[in-house]
Amino acid sequence: MSLLVWTLVVPLATALVGGLGGPRAFKEVTMVGGLALTFGLCVATAGECLHGAPPVAFGDALRVDGLSALVLVLCGFVGLLSAAYGVGYLRRNEARQLVTPRRRRQFFALIPAYVFAMLLVSASNNLGILWIAVELTTLTSVFFITFHDRDTSLEAAWKFLMLGSVGLGFALLGTVLLFASGQGQLGDGMAALNWTRFMQAAPGLHPFTLRLGVVFALIGYGTKAGLAPMHTWKPDAYREAPSPAAVLMAVGMLNGAVYCLLRVHLISKAALGPDFSGGLLLALGLLSVLVATPFILIQWNLKRLLAYSSVEHVGIMAVGIGLGAQAGVFGALLHMTYHSLAKPLAFFSAGTLAQLHRSSDFDRLGSGTLSRAPITSGLFVLSALIIMGSPPFGMFFSEMIILRAGFLGPHAAATGVFLGALVLLFCGFTYQVGHLVFGPARDPALDAPDPEAIDIGMVTAILAAILAVVSAFYLPGPLLTLIRAATQVVWEGR
Amino acid sequence: MTANVLILCAAGMLVSAYLMVAQKALFTTIRLYSAQSLLLGIVATAIALSQGRHELFVTAALTVALKGLLIPWFLMRVVDRIGIRQEIEPFLNVPTSLLVCVGLTVVGYRCSTGFPDGARGVSHHVVGIAISLLLIGLFLMVTRKKAVTQILALLTVENAVFLVAVGVTSGMPLIVELGISFDVVLAVLILGVLVRRIVDRFESMDISRLSRLKG
Repeated sequence: MSLLVWTLVVPLATALVGGLGGPRAFKEVTMVGGLALTFGLCVATAGECLHGAPPVAFGDALRVDGLSALVLVLCGFVGLLSAAYGVGYLRRNEARQLVTPRRRRQFFALIPAYVFAMLLVSASNNLGILWIAVELTTLTSVFFITFHDRDTSLEAAWKFLMLGSVGLGFALLGTVLLFASGQGQLGDGMAALNWTRFMQAAPGLHPFTLRLGVVFALIGYGTKAGLAPMHTWKPDAYREAPSPAAVLMAVGMLNGAVYCLLRVHLISKAALGPDFSGGLLLALGLLSVLVATPFILIQWNLKRLLAYSSVEHVGIMAVGIGLGAQAGVFGALLHMTYHSLAKPLAFFSAGTLAQLHRSSDFDRLGSGTLSRAPITSGLFVLSALIIMGSPPFGMFFSEMIILRAGFLGPHAAATGVFLGALVLLFCGFTYQVGHLVFGPARDPALDAPDPEAIDIGMVTAILAAILAVVSAFYLPGPLLTLIRAATQVVWEGR
Repeated sequence: MTANVLILCAAGMLVSAYLMVAQKALFTTIRLYSAQSLLLGIVATAIALSQGRHELFVTAALTVALKGLLIPWFLMRVVDRIGIRQEIEPFLNVPTSLLVCVGLTVVGYRCSTGFPDGARGVSHHVVGIAISLLLIGLFLMVTRKKAVTQILALLTVENAVFLVAVGVTSGMPLIVELGISFDVVLAVLILGVLVRRIVDRFESMDISRLSRLKG
């Protein structure tokens, strides 16, 4: 079997082992070990892609070019971090008797299963397989969202599944219409849905059918990415899902969905020119950034705050892609990389804060967390500084690259609005985080929170913090090469 | 001959969607969905016969077995367990809803003229009906309050997508279609379980009451 196949088989096997019974230590070691191996395999596959022809499997149904390789590596990385943090998270919840044995089995099976689905998304060259993989992540997420079994979990799960299914219905219709626009030029059998086949046949695709297909596919996958106005499932889902799973959704799934958007965008660009899907992405991205602003200002829950921040960041990426400049695409992919490096830290520290206080609502968390949980609060402030895009951290630079590309291009006015929204978001986020961490002391009538402890969850968070800070000053050469290779795929369409 | 059967069945699907909009009893709505799926199966068989595409027989068999029989049976069991038989007053009354649906059908047919065959031949009707069906499904989803009706609306949208797939492209590659059918069944199972848990918890499957998460 090729390296690429192993990359997918290992997380799947880890999921199967996790779903069986067994002593806890064994399951923990299997999950973290399996996902560490997966990450290693992702890096090896990406290396193979950089040093030669793109690795393929199953008759080109899976194909890892530069873009796939970047998303693959980022998803593998997030999967590993989330598994390591998840071990500590689950132990703490179990110490409080919040987790039934059945839920524990689900947890150890579903985290690797989710990683498998994400990797399948990022390695898919076949639009049908892509759709099936995205649907798999959706169905898996439902179990995460109902994990804590609260009233609000059911509400969040219902909304998530209905909205997600409509979105995926649209994406499926988009895929069918893209296929229909080929009018038989794409050939027969499974390979007819291959993205590479579409790119070859691009000049001959039927324009009207293609346009309709692109619109449906972008809206459908945009729902999964959480672009406004289809973002409404995000805050509910992130609040209800356990933090390690929320990271997988907020980073892994987000990258995967952006990957789907890019593939559709590239087909449209090759056949209709850059303005059609580019303009649509620009509009949706701008709307996402604008929509996130007021909700961050009035937010009442820590994890929902992070969800709106995630709406903002996917908006930034969509704007970067939609601008139609090579620098914009590079900025968007760089932003995706830095976002994947920093967002786990934000979710880990916020998750730990919520666990210590037994709620992520601001009124139960109270302000001034610095005095009660100094290390975690410090980590959270650091992560907030990074994801707000303050210098000298990486997202500041990726945002600057996108802004520069915007002001130099034909969309200067839109970029101006975008810049204004980014500034407002920065202020809103600063206010919320400042109030939470440094605000006045908490109401003594609330029950006292648990003390901080140095456990595997904390260690993972500190490691994530070191990675996030170091990456601001030093991106490893191969990673930068990978981002450049991905930019080249998006820019040249091959 | 096949063309007539095709158009007749597709039109039947549209009629079933209209009846779903007009219907309040949950069992009848589920049966209407089942009839709609069976008609989709006939459409697929007709195309398979006329164009000699044998893969479409598998599609037709899957449609009849899963969407025509299995999913309706499962949903009826859910409704039976819960013991709620009637949709409560929707957000829009029935006559107005039907008028809106007529408008949506016009939009659907207008849309279908942009396809390669334009306003000619069988595919004009099939695409027009499919897009109308999609819009009616979405409309049903936003105006109804009961969880089971929302699932049926979602499944109608899904049927519309399949109608486009068999009508315009003569079917997607088989393995992809198998994967999609499997995913749809899984989604319905999960939704059914969620409905049961929502009813246990809130003693109602009125989705408009699920409104604690805002902002």
